[in-house]
Amino acid sequence: MKKRFSYVFLCIGVFTLLGCTDAGTEIGSSFERRQMLENMAQNLIVPAYQDLQRSVNNLKTSADNFAQNPTGRNLTDLQTAWEEAYIQWQYANAYNFGPAGEEGIRKGLIEEIGTFPVSTTKIENTITNNNANFNDFNRDARGFLTLEYLIFDLNNDDAAILSKFSSQNRKVFLQAVASDIKTRVDAVVAAWNTSYREQFVSNTGTDVGSSTAQLYNEFVKSFESIKNFKAGLPLGRRPGQLQAEPTRVEAYYSGKSRQMMVEHLKAIENIWYGRSKSGQDGVGFKEYLASVEGGAALITATEAQWAVVMNSLNAVPQTPRIAIQIQNTPAAFDNLHTELQRHTRFFKSDMSSLLGIAITFSSGDGD
Amino acid sequence: MPLRRYFQQNTSAYPLGVFRFAFGVVMAFGTLRFVYLGWIEDHYVNPVFHFKYWGFAWISPFSVEVLYLLHFIMAAAALGVALATGWLYRLSAVLLFLIFTYTELIDLTYYLNHYYFVSVISLLLCLIPAPPPPFKKEQQVPRWVIDMFKLQISIVYVYAGLAKINYDWLVLALPLKIWLPAHDQMPLIGAMFTWKITPYLFSWFGMLYDCTIPFWLMWRRTRPLAYLAVIVFHVLVGLLFQIGIFPLVMIGATLIFFDFEYTKKHYPSLPRTLTGFQGLLSQLRLAFLVLFFLFQLLFPWRYVLYKGDIFWTEEGYRYAWRVMLMEKAGTATFYVKDTKTGREGVVDNSEFLNPHQEKQMAMQPDMILQFAHFLAKHYAQEGVHAPQVRAEVYVTLNARPSRLLIDPNVDLTKERDGFAPKKWILHYED
Repeated sequence: MKKRFSYVFLCIGVFTLLGCTDAGTEIGSSFERRQMLENMAQNLIVPAYQDLQRSVNNLKTSADNFAQNPTGRNLTDLQTAWEEAYIQWQYANAYNFGPAGEEGIRKGLIEEIGTFPVSTTKIENTITNNNANFNDFNRDARGFLTLEYLIFDLNNDDAAILSKFSSQNRKVFLQAVASDIKTRVDAVVAAWNTSYREQFVSNTGTDVGSSTAQLYNEFVKSFESIKNFKAGLPLGRRPGQLQAEPTRVEAYYSGKSRQMMVEHLKAIENIWYGRSKSGQDGVGFKEYLASVEGGAALITATEAQWAVVMNSLNAVPQTPRIAIQIQNTPAAFDNLHTELQRHTRFFKSDMSSLLGIAITFSSGDGD
Repeated sequence: MPLRRYFQQNTSAYPLGVFRFAFGVVMAFGTLRFVYLGWIEDHYVNPVFHFKYWGFAWISPFSVEVLYLLHFIMAAAALGVALATGWLYRLSAVLLFLIFTYTELIDLTYYLNHYYFVSVISLLLCLIPAPPPPFKKEQQVPRWVIDMFKLQISIVYVYAGLAKINYDWLVLALPLKIWLPAHDQMPLIGAMFTWKITPYLFSWFGMLYDCTIPFWLMWRRTRPLAYLAVIVFHVLVGLLFQIGIFPLVMIGATLIFFDFEYTKKHYPSLPRTLTGFQGLLSQLRLAFLVLFFLFQLLFPWRYVLYKGDIFWTEEGYRYAWRVMLMEKAGTATFYVKDTKTGREGVVDNSEFLNPHQEKQMAMQPDMILQFAHFLAKHYAQEGVHAPQVRAEVYVTLNARPSRLLIDPNVDLTKERDGFAPKKWILHYED
């Protein structure tokens, strides 16, 4: 008797609770992460990589044409091809996981083909010595921005570029850099087109290494890279920087910094909405947030600040190029940096906290 | 005198043998797992900056080779605690306690109540009379030895349970309402985590479990069922949260409550020389243990001396068995100002901290302060004149919209860490 009584007593709390609520079997709002991942793969990631691949192929062809026949016309073609490919890259640069992630000595795709500023010294030395090596640590001497340095002139002096390309070594290096970009992009696209896509959409947990966590972490990193590297550094906003360093902007030689930032921020916005490049809206982080405790309030706050970010972006004049604005009239660009900084918490801690996404392998129990 | 009589009582050594065997084996396994996962590098070697424990700023990591060596010694010591007798047992226990505690003290980032628990148990294991070999029947130990571990485990559970008696946990089922749905892909039970009732059930069950489980374990009639609850509870918690081997530690440690049918026998009182409390050293041990348990009982309550919400300020949060109690995260932006030029720069935290360090720092005021001091020193060396450091820290607590944790205008280089209230923490009004 006594024994049975104690068992019952142990369970009293639970039964009382069950009795008090009529929600015993009610299903709360649940979110299908798989749906989000499928939308991301189908409408954002894979199209972004395919567009990138197409434009990189074109870039490679243009580079080969130019190397064989370095005319002003072919240079213009090559410059256009670079611009198109680098725009496509802005939509693909936030997915540095899986086949685009780190592996062994290979860094993430963004480090391998998107590092800036480039080292002109290294590049010129490589050309002089004709000893290009794309597997070493000199990531600031390869990728899109190295190509940019080779084919754009700060003063739009195409004749100066053409005269430099009388060097056979320079032509060889140009083609090699384009080939390297193509090789790396092709490998990533091939993986997404075959087995990785299924692996991505079926890994539906929220732990470290899950697709949601990887996508989320790279999304935040990509956003922060705009703030830290595309704006903060050239503005001289790092502690210890004694002045602005305009040469550190992205796409310094072509002067297309602002345009690329616009595309990059649009790509970030698309991930938030789960929206394709053509504007077709699907399941993204926003929908995921809408399904969790406190999500509605965070969506409102996030989108309010994002609107401020976008306004301050639009307030940055189209001309002159960002590097010159930073030198002479930095206020608007500086304001954009401030607003990006203000936005960080919404994407970073607020969002990961509500979604329960793991950021690190070992967790603290104090949180 | 009844107390003297109590200290002369002895009992079967079997539960202690099972306890130390389980604890030692799990610790050895855990240590090797830690090494295997590459966490020596991740935690101690790679970071450029380590957060110090208050009063232990002098502790810093040895070279990677020494750390590896220490971990292997620690694993061996853990096995010694499991199996050895006599001086080898004592040496093992002391080594386990010292090395484990040393590695924990290297970086505050990795503080876990569980680690604190391991340190505490290891310390107590140093202080008991060397036990007889485990799993030998008819061996005896003083009764206080076993009761001491039961007391310590009970304190952990009951304090963890009392901490759960708060509005968010019981009425709002937070943070479980956040944590459970994130695990809806778990086999078999995952779907249950999307039910509305589940976080409430888990919250209430968790609170009742923690508050009462020691008593169910002490009572012989409820013990088997209670131990089943221990297993279910810790396995579930282990599946839900990344807490490594600790479910195993607790499942092993609670075995101390079992008598394994041997303690029913009547054992004669120990001769005076064997009670463990004769002689000066033993008297010192007794005095230490009394103080130790007073500390265990009182120190967790220090938070009542601070103004403000403990979940927000975290003043008095650690060493109080506040386990998995809230969902908190922050974004901390540090501004370093050159006093001479007036130029202010924004810090990229990831330049100095790994993601884990940044995450923990961004919500805990004392870590924010430490990092600010580090930045001041670092940038002074980089040529910034008398750097002033302020931080804009936005923290979300249990899914509420984030807000400023500390005064963003305070120059943190002027503030000192300590037990005095931190006036630069902003109040949290709900």
